[in-house]
Amino acid sequence: MGFLTQTAESDKPSAFNLNVQISHQHLAVGKDEQAFYILVSVTPTDSLPLLRLPLNLCLVLDQSTSMQGMRMQQVKEGARQIVEQITTEDSLGVVVFSDKANVLLPCRKKIDKSRTKTAINSIQSGGGTELFQGLVAGLKEIEPNRSQQSVNHLILLTDGQTYGDEISCLDKSKWAGQNQISLTTLGIGADWNENLLDQMAAISGGTSAYIDTPTKIVEVLKATMKSISSVVARELTISLDLKSGVYLKESFQMTPYIYRLGGSSSRILLGPLTAEVSKTVLMEFRIRPETSPMKKDLLELKVEGDIPNRANHRHWETVTVSAEFAPKASVGSAIPSVIVTALGKLAIFQMQEKAMADLENGKIAEATQRLENMATRLLNIGETELARAALLEAGRLARSGHLSAEGRKKIRYGTRSLSILPKEINRG
Amino acid sequence: MVKCPFCGTPQVANTIFCSECGVYLLDDERKRTDILNLHDLDLDKDDGGKAQAEALRKGSGPLAVRLKIGESHRVVEATLTKAVHLGRLDPISDVFPEIDLTDDSALEKGVSRRHARILKKDGVVVVEDLGSINGTFVNGKRLAPYLPEVLNNNDQLQLGNLLVEVQMR
Repeated sequence: MGFLTQTAESDKPSAFNLNVQISHQHLAVGKDEQAFYILVSVTPTDSLPLLRLPLNLCLVLDQSTSMQGMRMQQVKEGARQIVEQITTEDSLGVVVFSDKANVLLPCRKKIDKSRTKTAINSIQSGGGTELFQGLVAGLKEIEPNRSQQSVNHLILLTDGQTYGDEISCLDKSKWAGQNQISLTTLGIGADWNENLLDQMAAISGGTSAYIDTPTKIVEVLKATMKSISSVVARELTISLDLKSGVYLKESFQMTPYIYRLGGSSSRILLGPLTAEVSKTVLMEFRIRPETSPMKKDLLELKVEGDIPNRANHRHWETVTVSAEFAPKASVGSAIPSVIVTALGKLAIFQMQEKAMADLENGKIAEATQRLENMATRLLNIGETELARAALLEAGRLARSGHLSAEGRKKIRYGTRSLSILPKEINRG
Repeated sequence: MVKCPFCGTPQVANTIFCSECGVYLLDDERKRTDILNLHDLDLDKDDGGKAQAEALRKGSGPLAVRLKIGESHRVVEATLTKAVHLGRLDPISDVFPEIDLTDDSALEKGVSRRHARILKKDGVVVVEDLGSINGTFVNGKRLAPYLPEVLNNNDQLQLGNLLVEVQMR
């Protein structure tokens, strides 16, 4: 019995592979609503020659007073290494900001590398952090050179809280996403708004990262550069055509890191696909009960992406998922281990989400309890460092009613990275 | 509806983990590791810490480790940004190894759920036995539990009776 029917376009070589796993082959006949899970992974096809798309890149760097010293030194080093990797096809610009923004180097092609580095070396720190100013100036630099054939990207690096302009930042990030400009948002140290930076990255189709110590700045900038230089497909989306009696409860991106996906079920946005990591999405459904045995189509799933440098850009694959309703006795419970593993890690991530929500609603005791439970689970799975952070924060919360800014970030970014799994090279 | 045995929260049928406390809700039978009589797998027993010195000389050491597993020779690559656990998936006991060996006949070959882990320490890749029933071996030498042992390129790792070839990347 095939429960997955996969169809791809037949006339073009496939640009990405779609692998769909379902939690249950059989669903029990009865009166109860049931849960059903689908794990979708999208991997770039190996055979596809990797074309490096020209970059249209702007660095937006925080130069507020708190950046002084080691942080600024490392940012400069990271920026210089990025300059080294710029080709003649790429355009690069640099914007610095504190209370206001200043275009250090306008975005252009064929930059003079040594002069660019000298300009970067001359950055001085001083002033506050007005994120919106930097963002607007950076996007303004990218826009004139924006094209379908390039990776339009803004790297925003900050170490401070911005006040009062959060909504404008989100609006602008959304606009960027709609205009094929993605953002990487990087927060250094403990004193910045992780909700804001994560959301800004996500709605533009980019990524965010937490840099706990300045020594990691260069590494993270390098990794960002590597990832935007290996874009294989853009505007990856999943659309679901749900049959009657089937509802999407929630969906999460699992890799590159765990992230709760918003948007309607008809169009889930996943951003760009790079050659290095596959995108994995876990979806939880609710299935209305059926009282008699039958085979039923549950949904049709379509993954689409934009393949740059192809005559016919749009590429898609569809899968029809169906299940057999059978009497309870004959229903086995063999759930694919990848789904169990993914859900196990997701459960911990969700405990973190719930603890933070409790905290926001002033439920200190509940949040403390959740953090303690989470620590136990983390210890069990061997994540000792993260478990320790959770326990420390649980203790602090019980005593003072607050989390430390650092602990909060450690837990948030630690739990979302739990899903990083080894890469399967071949199967026997 | 099912009820979470741990916190009592009602859950929709087929739910795999409790949405409140994260406990595994399905009652599979527990699969215990049996004590085996280990075959002599006739491994190359050379080495002398040469590769360890080389890793140190290289500075940051390998970024990832590639494992060729069992008779199927399936190959898995894991980055060494954090510890990589090897064992058998068992959600009931909260065991979620990054490298799940269940499909490699791990149970028959005496692999424990929480068997061993590979991690990078000061630029050197080490393997640590996690108190497994049938032991972890590097090139035929059994490791003391919880005592990290340096792992070199092309080493033969053995978990119970399961052979794993190691390559640094």
